[in-house]
Amino acid sequence: MFSSLRRRAAVMLLGLALPVALAACSAPGGDQGDSNKTDGPIKIALVDAQSGQLSSLGAWELKGARLAIDEWNAAGGINGRQIELGVFDDQGDPTVGTNLARKIASEGYIAMIGTAESAVTIAMAPILRESKIPNITSGQSPGLVAVKSPFLFLNGPTSVTYDETLAKYIVDTKGLKNIAMITNNGGYGKGEHDAFTKSLQARGVKPIEDQVVTADQKDFSAALTTIRQKNPQVIFIGAEEVQSGLIVKQARDLGITVPFAGAAPQGTPVFADTAGTANVEGTIVSSPYLSNEVSEASKKFAAAYKAKFNEDAEMHGAKAYDGTQILLNALKTSNVATGQALADAIRATKYAGLLGDFAFDDTGVGIFATRIGTIQGGKLVAAG
Amino acid sequence: MKLRVAGIGVLAVLAWLLPYQLDSYLIHVANVVILFAILAIGLGLVMGIAGQINLAQIALFGVASYATAILTTRAGFGFWTAAALAMLIVAAIGLLIGTPALRMQSHYLGIVTLGLALALTNWVTNAHIAGGAEGITGIPAPTLPGIDLRNDYFFYYLELIVFALALAFGLFVVRTPLGRKMRAMRDDSLAAGAVGVEVPQLRMTAFFLASIYGGVAGVLYAGLIRYVAPETFSIANMFLLLAMVIIGGRQSLVGCVVGAVALSLLREVLVDYPTYAQVAYGTIVVLTVVFAPTGLAGLPVRARGLLQRLGWLRRDTGAPPKLGDFRPYDEVERPAEQVILRIDDVSMHFRGLKALQEVTMEITSGEIRGVVGPNGSGKTTLFNVVSGLYRPTSGRVWLGERDLTAARPHTLARAGVARTFQNLRLFPLLTVRENLLVALDQTSVLGSWRYALWQPGVWRHDRALRRQADELLDRFGLTAFADAAPGELPYGTQRRVEIARAMARHPRLLLLDEPAAGLNGEEVRQLSEIVRSIRSTGVTVVLIEHNMGLVMSLCERVTVFASGRVIADGTPAEVARAPQVVEAYLGDSAMSEDVPVATATEATR
Repeated sequence: MFSSLRRRAAVMLLGLALPVALAACSAPGGDQGDSNKTDGPIKIALVDAQSGQLSSLGAWELKGARLAIDEWNAAGGINGRQIELGVFDDQGDPTVGTNLARKIASEGYIAMIGTAESAVTIAMAPILRESKIPNITSGQSPGLVAVKSPFLFLNGPTSVTYDETLAKYIVDTKGLKNIAMITNNGGYGKGEHDAFTKSLQARGVKPIEDQVVTADQKDFSAALTTIRQKNPQVIFIGAEEVQSGLIVKQARDLGITVPFAGAAPQGTPVFADTAGTANVEGTIVSSPYLSNEVSEASKKFAAAYKAKFNEDAEMHGAKAYDGTQILLNALKTSNVATGQALADAIRATKYAGLLGDFAFDDTGVGIFATRIGTIQGGKLVAAG
Repeated sequence: MKLRVAGIGVLAVLAWLLPYQLDSYLIHVANVVILFAILAIGLGLVMGIAGQINLAQIALFGVASYATAILTTRAGFGFWTAAALAMLIVAAIGLLIGTPALRMQSHYLGIVTLGLALALTNWVTNAHIAGGAEGITGIPAPTLPGIDLRNDYFFYYLELIVFALALAFGLFVVRTPLGRKMRAMRDDSLAAGAVGVEVPQLRMTAFFLASIYGGVAGVLYAGLIRYVAPETFSIANMFLLLAMVIIGGRQSLVGCVVGAVALSLLREVLVDYPTYAQVAYGTIVVLTVVFAPTGLAGLPVRARGLLQRLGWLRRDTGAPPKLGDFRPYDEVERPAEQVILRIDDVSMHFRGLKALQEVTMEITSGEIRGVVGPNGSGKTTLFNVVSGLYRPTSGRVWLGERDLTAARPHTLARAGVARTFQNLRLFPLLTVRENLLVALDQTSVLGSWRYALWQPGVWRHDRALRRQADELLDRFGLTAFADAAPGELPYGTQRRVEIARAMARHPRLLLLDEPAAGLNGEEVRQLSEIVRSIRSTGVTVVLIEHNMGLVMSLCERVTVFASGRVIADGTPAEVARAPQVVEAYLGDSAMSEDVPVATATEATR
């Protein structure tokens, strides 16, 4: 009696479930997030590391983007619609990035700012391309160009530009040929290593020492001692801010007095603070944004940044600010288009930004020059 | 039973309908959850079922994903060809990671496997072919005729089917001879060896199985994400996986799945608070280990126990089951007398301690031999040498015409030596019936290929074993206890279970180590009846015993040990009169019945 009742209940449950199954038999998931709404806020996603080792980068990016969006919102938004910034944390992990790419697609975001980590952006690119979501990244790896996604744009030059300018200055202008390298094996360090080696090769110069450390290494005495024995005239660093600072500090402790050279990270306050102001004197930096004082626009940006966040602006914030401005301009000119139309609008945008004049080519790169600066008296100043 | 079938049916229907309720992000989350569930089943098999600590499971997962990625993007293979090759690679690496298990166990094994996993992650981060820190993009999506697997929704159904098969296969393994042997090995690898389980091969099989599950999950991962990077296979994820298995309940595969689903969903909730996520996982693991050591899967049993203690739930108040009578074996003609066991000048030294010194004795087929002597005189050491647990310092052991001096316990068990242990070594987490089933299975681990190719054969073999077990339970009067855990039984009953388990091997030589210790008078009488009946089937019996009444009445010959040497050998009457024997027992009223029953210390173990 009891068991037959149970069986009947099970059959009834199955009977209830069946019509549901048949009704929706074609394919599940028809209700994709509809991004073609014409009212309500414009949803833009910012994906960056808000936790973990790369979180300082993510924090700068967020501030730059936030500043740009707040300015537009204060001026009435676009077509009377406010702009909403959704912040997502990728933890610097590419796989988390692929999850987030799907998440922003399903939640109806029409464009994405970030990430600052090339590996994460490369991982996300295929999914964003499939979902037709334009993405303006702060990464600079040549690998970003190799992805060949029409939806991927860079808010700065690639490592190739940074290191070509740097090599040109060191070898051609200064005539230094005895160059040692120390890079890490992370995504950024590997990109720097390959780009700089290639630029040297084009000039017929071979580095006299090429040391590769791991991305989470803290003690570089072995690598630096080897470099010291070779007596280089200049040492190239391809590593993120904090690690670069540690390398310089330990090199000075070992009695290495020659200057260091590198790309954007070596121009940041974090680098100088980690290494010690006296130790970074003379460092050669290749950067599209040498300081907050280079132009009227950068002074204005730095003042607004200081007023809003109570700290000094630096390059990553400026890059994110530029990228966000380009996106918002494209949204305005295209009447808040989405997908392919928005990507086309971004590509067509000419923008005079903090880093220079942007004009995008087919690869998604909009700026092809950096400037050389040296640290003198604790300040990064343009090299003569 | 019907309830269970209906429950599985409802779950299957719900799982089938789930995608209709999820948006495109949540379906992706569901896909990742299923992958972790498959991984957790693999880890549950090797850790929970076989008791081998494997901290390389996530590395195996990584090997399979990377192999698929490299073979598709660099070598240009199709997805499924690459997947098949990846499975071969991961199986080979699984066996490699398993080899340390042949030499070491427990936390040592954990550290070694962890080291191998770290080495692999490090290689991947640095190797050019693996793309370094940037990983590998552009893995082609798998294709099936008529289905676009780039769609996460269709991929869900592929994963669901693979998952159902993986779980069903895992449960099939656990409930059939292979899984039973693994559980026996986990509970007590010494005793498992003594009943013929080939422990080394079985450990490798466990690692092999785990690598297959890791491989399946890894291949599916490559097809789902179509991107691989070193972070995914980090140690943090290994510990997340470990937490899933511990929280779900190691010893239950369904528990592992529940743990994987629960923790994956928790991870999804905590994804915006990464600072606290690791702390939260840690807290949950600690709480589980303290308050629910058997995990979520063990909660129903523990809850019932608690309710019974509180008096909210009625206990089973039927009369406690009674030990049945032993049903004697049919007698067979006594075989021609020949030497079945020859111990030739055997010495066994433990550093300075000479546990056995130049011991020589011969045992004739069909006899019942008593081995007596004061505590610490080397009797149990002798048994351990004969059953292969110790390798003697010098001398040889012959079984019939075969020299089996350095043989492994399982080889000796297969050659016809069975034994019981002084301190009882039943498999505590197996039922009485399963204890016997482990011993009854005479097949080799190498025959496990049938699990992959011919499951009905395995099933039929299992049915046959169960029939034999029922017959054996009935003969030893244990039918009423068949489904009880050994630890719940009275001591005397456990002793009988151990003898039944030894007899399940159909041995030629049975070694009983103090079978009467802890038994009452009636139980001792039953024991001597059992031993006589066993002998009547042609089995030779050697027993160590302190109960002299039993020795005198049962044994035809008695060998007396003192300080690792044989000091007397002969009929009970001869031995009792020998002056050196009287002296050995220090003038005690030596060979009388009130020689103190041995306290259970095994000085020489």
